[in-house]
Amino acid sequence: MSELNLNEDQQDCLQEIINVAMGQASDQLARFLDTFVYLKVPSIEQVSTLSLIETLSNNENSAAVVSQGFFGYEGIRGEALLVYKPKDSDRLADLLGYEPDELSVEEQIIDLSSILTTTFLNVFAKQIDNQMSYSAPRLLAGSQSAVSDHLAQQSFNWDLALKVKITYQVTDYSFNCDMILFIPELAINNIKAVIDRILEEF
Amino acid sequence: MSPNDICTDITNKINTGILIIDNQYNIVFWNRYLEIHANKKTDDVVGHNLFQVFPELPQKWLKRKVESVFQLKSQSFCSWEQRHHLFELPHTRPISTNSHFMAQNCTFLPLERKDGSDNVCILIEDVTDVCHYQTMLNKTLEELAQANRIDGLTQIFNRKHWEECLEKEFSRARRYQHGLALIMFDLDHFKLLNDTYGHLGGDLVLIETARVISSLLRLGDLFGRYGGEEFAIILPNTDIVGALDVAERIRVAISKNVINFQESEIKVTASVGVAVISEDDNRYEDLISNTDLALYDAKASGRNIVCVAKQLVET
Repeated sequence: MSELNLNEDQQDCLQEIINVAMGQASDQLARFLDTFVYLKVPSIEQVSTLSLIETLSNNENSAAVVSQGFFGYEGIRGEALLVYKPKDSDRLADLLGYEPDELSVEEQIIDLSSILTTTFLNVFAKQIDNQMSYSAPRLLAGSQSAVSDHLAQQSFNWDLALKVKITYQVTDYSFNCDMILFIPELAINNIKAVIDRILEEF
Repeated sequence: MSPNDICTDITNKINTGILIIDNQYNIVFWNRYLEIHANKKTDDVVGHNLFQVFPELPQKWLKRKVESVFQLKSQSFCSWEQRHHLFELPHTRPISTNSHFMAQNCTFLPLERKDGSDNVCILIEDVTDVCHYQTMLNKTLEELAQANRIDGLTQIFNRKHWEECLEKEFSRARRYQHGLALIMFDLDHFKLLNDTYGHLGGDLVLIETARVISSLLRLGDLFGRYGGEEFAIILPNTDIVGALDVAERIRVAISKNVINFQESEIKVTASVGVAVISEDDNRYEDLISNTDLALYDAKASGRNIVCVAKQLVET
C-alpha cells in the first residue's frame, strides 16, 4: 500500500495548490460573508478507515457533521466532511445574512457547509484545470447525537484515504469548524497523476 | 439532430423542473415539466418576476440563497428535509400520500451566458416518494426507540434505560454539585402472591403499583422497573429529607392500594431503601449499591418500612 503514499515533491505540490486555493477561497468567503475568514495551514495525511472512525470518535463534542460528495474530471473525487462544535452554531444565521427565524439551525449548518466546501473546491479545481460537481450536502449527525454512532453504521468501500484537514476561523463570530476532505484509495492515484503532470510542467 | 436540438428535446422531456432566472430575478426560461405542473401559461411566466409568478416563495431567504450562487459561482442546494417544498406544485401521488404539494430537492446552478450575463438555473426534483417513505421510517424508528426504553408490562422505563438515565444524572450531579437521591423498593412476599393468585394476579399488582407510584412523582423524577418486583426512582436535585418524604409516601400509597383481581382484593406492602449521592461514590453503581443495602435493611427489619443507607445514618 506504500505506493499510495505521496512522495515529498507530490506532497509539497499538493500543499501548494491547497494553499493557493485557500487564499482565494478565504478572500471570496470574506466578501460574501462580509467578515474575515481565516483558514489554517492544512494537514495532509494518509488514513485508514479504522483510524478515521477513531479520530472522529475522539472528537465526541462535535455537534454536527455535514457530508458532501465532490467529483470532477480525471477521476478526482471524494467526500468533504464539515465538523462543527456545539457552541459555534449560535450565530450562524447572523453570519450567513439570514434572519434566525427564516431557517432552522440544521439548514444554517448545511447551507454554510455547502458554501465553505464548494467555494474551496471550486478554486482548488481551477488550480488543477478541473471542474467539480457536487452531491447535495447531508447532515450526518444532528445537534445532540454523537458522530461516531453515525460513522459506525456507515460501510466504507475503501481501506485507505488521503485526508486533508483545514480549519476555518471566523474571528468576528468566534466561530470555527474543520473541513476534512477524504479522497478514497482509487482516486489517490488519479490525483497523483494530476500532481505529476503539474510537476512536469514546472 | 444537432447537439442543441438534443438538449432542447431532453430539457422538454425530462422529469425535472428547470427554471432559469437573471440577476434581477426575472424568469428567462422554464421547461415543459414546470409548465405542466405549475399550470401557468409561458407568456405569463417567461419575462416576468420570479416572486410575482410564484408568490409562495420565501423571498428574503431565497434572494440570499441565490445571491450566494451569483457571487461565489458555486452551486447551492435545498433539501425537502429542511424545506418540504419551494414551489407549490401538485404531485403525482395525491392518493397514497398525505402532503398537498410535491416534496422537492432543489439545486441552484450558476450559469454564465455567452453574452457575459449571469443566470441561475434552479432544478426542481420531485421527491414526494422519498419524503413519504422517510417520514414513515422516522416514525417507526421513533416508536422502536420508545419501545426500547419502556418495560412492556408496567409501561415505565426498563432497567437498561433507567440505568442510562442514572449514569447521566450522576455525572450531572457531580459536575454541578447538585443533590441526587435514589429510592429502590421491592414488593414484600411477591412470590407468595404469585403462588396465591397466579401470574396474572402478580402482573396486575406490578401494573397497578407502577401506575399508583407514577402519579406520586414529580416531572423530573425517573421511575423504572429494576427487576422482577423491584422498582427504582431517581430523584434529581433532591436531598435526604426530600427523598425520605417521597419514600414514605410511596410506602403508604402501596400499603393502602387495594387491587381487585377476580373477585378478590389483593393488598401488598413494600420495603423501601433510600440513599443520596455522597463524596465517596465514585460511580453511579456505588449509589445503587448503597440504596440496595438500605433496601436489604428494610427487608431484614420486618418489611413495609423505609430504611436509609447506613453511612447517612452514621454521619
